Amino acid sequence: MKQDRPPDTVRAYLAALQRSMKAQGCKPGLISDALADCEEHLNNEIAMNPGRSEADVLASVVETYGTPEEIAEEYKSMEAAISGPFPKSDETLPARHYGFFNVVRDPRAYGALMYMLLSLVTGVFYFTVVVTGVALSFGLAILIIGVPFALLFIGICRVLGHVEGRIIEGLLAVRMPRRLPPPTPADETIWTQIKEALIDTRTWSTMFYLALMLPLGVAYFVIAVVGIALSFGLAFGSIWSLITGRSDIQISEVPWLEHLFHTAPGLILAAIVGIFLFFVVLHIARGVGWLHGRIAELLLVRL
Amino acid sequence: MAEETPYTRKFRKELMAGLSSLVLLAVLARAGREMYGYEIAKAVKAEGEGGLIFKQGAIYPVLRSLNQLGLLDSRVEASAFGPPRRYYNITDEGRRALFEWQGAWRDMRGFVDDALASQGAVYEARPSA
Repeated sequence: MKQDRPPDTVRAYLAALQRSMKAQGCKPGLISDALADCEEHLNNEIAMNPGRSEADVLASVVETYGTPEEIAEEYKSMEAAISGPFPKSDETLPARHYGFFNVVRDPRAYGALMYMLLSLVTGVFYFTVVVTGVALSFGLAILIIGVPFALLFIGICRVLGHVEGRIIEGLLAVRMPRRLPPPTPADETIWTQIKEALIDTRTWSTMFYLALMLPLGVAYFVIAVVGIALSFGLAFGSIWSLITGRSDIQISEVPWLEHLFHTAPGLILAAIVGIFLFFVVLHIARGVGWLHGRIAELLLVRL
Repeated sequence: MAEETPYTRKFRKELMAGLSSLVLLAVLARAGREMYGYEIAKAVKAEGEGGLIFKQGAIYPVLRSLNQLGLLDSRVEASAFGPPRRYYNITDEGRRALFEWQGAWRDMRGFVDDALASQGAVYEARPSA
């Protein structure tokens, strides 16, 4: 292992911690939590030693708090020890040999399906907030309340991003930050706060994500609703027709399809197709869940 | 203190892995009030000679896992200066766990002490002839 110079600022220490956690293969959500803990601790340490310089405090911190490598290891082993509601994704990786029909026992598929149904509501809400916020921020910029309003809006975006992260972790089983990133210290002037927020790429990527959730949410919702309705409709409609001996389906333009729904073998076939479709929907949901988890990791987690 | 061998460091780490939860529960139970991470870190350091073996950075992931197990409660509060703090407090379940773990630790300590002392030997770092 290479022995570099010990970090002498909080920023350098955090950067070193982030590097070693990444090197050890930690998830972005866990890294973000570790950085939040570490920043809180180091700032407290500095606040408690007002007489000493930052470099001075940092030099002793490596002794007491631990080196970035040690801390990275601690978080990694702790994370492995905590078992969540879902199996660890490392363990479920060989899910390939699960087989097509075993998806019905995969809790992630149902979580993702729930998420897809929910995302229309959350997507519309996020989009409304972002569009209103951006428009008002620019509109009010020439007034004295423009600046505090823009700051408030940025704060709201962060909280929404965090809440969305909690939803994603609950339903999609993707590790997301469990705590809010520490905001800039209050003693900084309003201008430095704005500057920090503006140069923080996470501010922009979070806003982008929140706006993106409208089209994504609509698409997810449509896929989920159409998939569920089609598969259940075909399966239960056909079974119902088989039991009652009645079929009210009239498709005069397509005689062969109409014939299909009026004969027992056709109805049995339709029921089988419907049930099969339900498994396909579960697979699609799991795929969408996985894909959306990657998008969220990319845009919402600050690193 | 002489530089420790890598096995010793690994051994210490493994010993600490389970015991850190016990120590943190004990610190919070004794304090009898909620404490934030940094305060707990300082309290742990004050525990005694062994304090420094336990890196302060390592308590945060442990606190989080105890919180998730329901042995600790937590809430976030803005502080007068610096970043917001997460306060932890021990729950009733945590107290019960602490009581049971304390017993488990006594058993374990007795067993290990017996094993080390049963031969009446003192082990030294002496190369064998």
